[in-house]
Amino acid sequence: MNRLANFYSEKEAHILGAGFILLLIVLWELIPHLLTVSKGMSLFFTTPLRVIEAGYQLIVENKIQEHFYASAIEFLLGLGLAIIVGLPLGLIMGRSRLLDAMIDPFVTVFNATPRLIFLPLFILWFGIGMWSKIMIVFVGAVFPLLINTYEGVKNVDRVLVNVVRSFGANEWQTMKIVVLPNSVPYIVAGLRLAIGRAVLGVVVGEFFGASKGLGFMIATAATNYKVDVVFVGVAIFMGLSLILTMAVKKIESNLARWRPEEAKTF
Amino acid sequence: MGWVSKNWTLMSSSFIQARNVTLSFKPKSREPVTALNNFTIEVTKGEFVSIVGPSGCGKSTFLNVVLGLIKPDTGEIRLNGTPIKGPGQERAMVFQEFGLLPWRTVAANVELGLELKGVPAAERVNRATALIRLVGLAGFERHYPHELSGGMKQRVGLARALATEPEVLLMDEPFAALDAQTRDLMQAELLQIWERTQKTVLFVTHSIEEAAYLSDRVIVMTARPGRTKSILKVNLPRPRDYEMRLCAQFNDIKADIWNTLKDELSARSLDGH
Amino acid sequence: MGIKAIYQEHYRLILGSASVLGLILVWELMLTFLIPLNPFFFTKPSLIAVAFKEQVIYGALWGDLAVSSKAFLWGFSFAVLLGIPLGAFMGWRRRAGYTLDPFFTALYASPLVALAPLIIVVFGVGLLAKSVLVFALSVFPFIFNTFAGVRSTDPLLINVVRSFGGGEKDLYFKVIFPTTLPYIIAGARIALGRGLVGIIVGEFYAASEGIGFAISRFGDTYRLPEMFAGIFVLMIAAVVLTEGMRKLEAVLAPWRTTEESR
Repeated sequence: MNRLANFYSEKEAHILGAGFILLLIVLWELIPHLLTVSKGMSLFFTTPLRVIEAGYQLIVENKIQEHFYASAIEFLLGLGLAIIVGLPLGLIMGRSRLLDAMIDPFVTVFNATPRLIFLPLFILWFGIGMWSKIMIVFVGAVFPLLINTYEGVKNVDRVLVNVVRSFGANEWQTMKIVVLPNSVPYIVAGLRLAIGRAVLGVVVGEFFGASKGLGFMIATAATNYKVDVVFVGVAIFMGLSLILTMAVKKIESNLARWRPEEAKTF
Repeated sequence: MGWVSKNWTLMSSSFIQARNVTLSFKPKSREPVTALNNFTIEVTKGEFVSIVGPSGCGKSTFLNVVLGLIKPDTGEIRLNGTPIKGPGQERAMVFQEFGLLPWRTVAANVELGLELKGVPAAERVNRATALIRLVGLAGFERHYPHELSGGMKQRVGLARALATEPEVLLMDEPFAALDAQTRDLMQAELLQIWERTQKTVLFVTHSIEEAAYLSDRVIVMTARPGRTKSILKVNLPRPRDYEMRLCAQFNDIKADIWNTLKDELSARSLDGH
Repeated sequence: MGIKAIYQEHYRLILGSASVLGLILVWELMLTFLIPLNPFFFTKPSLIAVAFKEQVIYGALWGDLAVSSKAFLWGFSFAVLLGIPLGAFMGWRRRAGYTLDPFFTALYASPLVALAPLIIVVFGVGLLAKSVLVFALSVFPFIFNTFAGVRSTDPLLINVVRSFGGGEKDLYFKVIFPTTLPYIIAGARIALGRGLVGIIVGEFYAASEGIGFAISRFGDTYRLPEMFAGIFVLMIAAVVLTEGMRKLEAVLAPWRTTEESR
């Protein structure tokens, strides 16, 4: 009995947290059994088991795979582009006051604006295919990466830079030995934010002007009142988001162990 | 011959009395830790008493018991005969990490205790201004803590503690976070303020030198669980000045304290609190 | 040496403005002389300026902006009213924090916009659906930031106030609230951004008015100058709001040295 009490007090946070989520899921499942759902409402309603069943059906009937791959490609290409553009740009802006001053107004303005506003424009330019989505993902994800890389570079300890310089290092070596390692936690934090934005881009991009993708699947299912399919899509996005975010968080905490303060995230 | 080390006797005229104070902490899913075990001391009114001991011996805990924030498991703690049941106007603490509210100016910080007692604003301002001057920070009333040096912050802490006119000043390693020079300065200033205000002071420190320089008596505690190991009287004349630290008598006192203390500083008591 | 000194003082402003103006100039020149102006694909600053004048000064864009603002304010206000107390409750009561944190974290980390079609289907097209979407997206930063703020309260300061005889009410007003305030303001800034996403998505998807709707309608009808004008209006609004929040943060929390988290 005492061992049980000890176990509980150690893992209390996890038990309460997981328990609550489980409770909600169970309650959700039980709602139609407990209350009578009116005919009208039942159009909009579904339960966890039905969602799982719908998901299973979609997989078995091979209907979901093409959507999944479409979304995945858009996500990866867009994010990849964001990394390729955002990181170097952030580095350069961090080290060059001139470029910083010149590019900063654009970064500030575009960062404050919800990038999704460009979706109609991108659809106009790139059509309904993959590329408008890739661009929206890119434009959403590039800013957290750029800004965080910039912050990481700017926050490097002057003393360390001077130390390396005193041994005769040039700009490139200084970058490699001091600036980059110092910036890594910031960059990883930026990556975490970028992943969230990228998923957002995929989802919303596929709502409008798309012919495949999980977002498209969700949108068409909604208009056809197939609420369980909607939730299958939502669940997949949620799950992927969670997994990716947790993975990056793990990397972040491993890298941040030597840091006295944490890179500002959220 | 500068000191006397004796067993002490309970005097009924003592101001602060702690008898057999025992206290344990029960952290989650670990063994309970006894911080104080039958800790007994006496302090007379107006005395300056230091408590030294190895890390984790419970000296800060005891200070919090006197302050009234922690209740002992067993034992008695009395002030002027009355049992201590919680914080009270007659006792005020100066904290090692200063504990200034960062969003308040120096003046507003000093006024904190008075504010909580419901003292009207005009009087608060007057008392605070006088104390700010007393600790040598005149002109800094509208500054924020983050604009001050460590020494200055601690002076604000001291002014704040004095504002409610307590009879007992509890000081928990107040100068530990300061650099050596500022520390020396603050010690001298503290003595001056003490002489002027006649408070009873309980001073916790790790520094034998500091304890010897400042106090009338030095209480040496054992390693955890803490008890009184020995009490040494410091027979240096007052007012004390810096030169006294350089004389042979002072070194003898320090040596005695060290000899009493060092057995408690075994490897076992050094690992973790 | 006057000019050089002025340059040193304000070099960021000067260089920044120069590069913005330079871009506009290059854009205009390129599309006037270099690239053929296919009106279905491109437009240039002069045309955008004309459309801007038309739409903003004479046109319906103000009405659209008002509609969007209304929906935004409704959703955002509810996010403030519900999110802050909830976050405070979670921070103050340890067990509440343990119970609710994983659930809300899961929601925060997932793209709630994915539910937008469902929300529209359930609530129909209009103010309610948009407000619900804005609320759903902007409530979480308030919850989490308030939560973090309350939890970050320095126990030393609690002890200080208690040592002077302060009661529960004193703890709330003199320690916990001032500590949490900067967190809440920072949360408001993040929530603002997310709420804007909500209003845009809501209006793209199914609306008959609003600035998001206007932009997508211009896109559908290939009226690029007007579309850009609409986008600029939104950009201006977004920048004004965001920078305004930053100034508010600086004023209300001068004692905090926060790293920029944009």
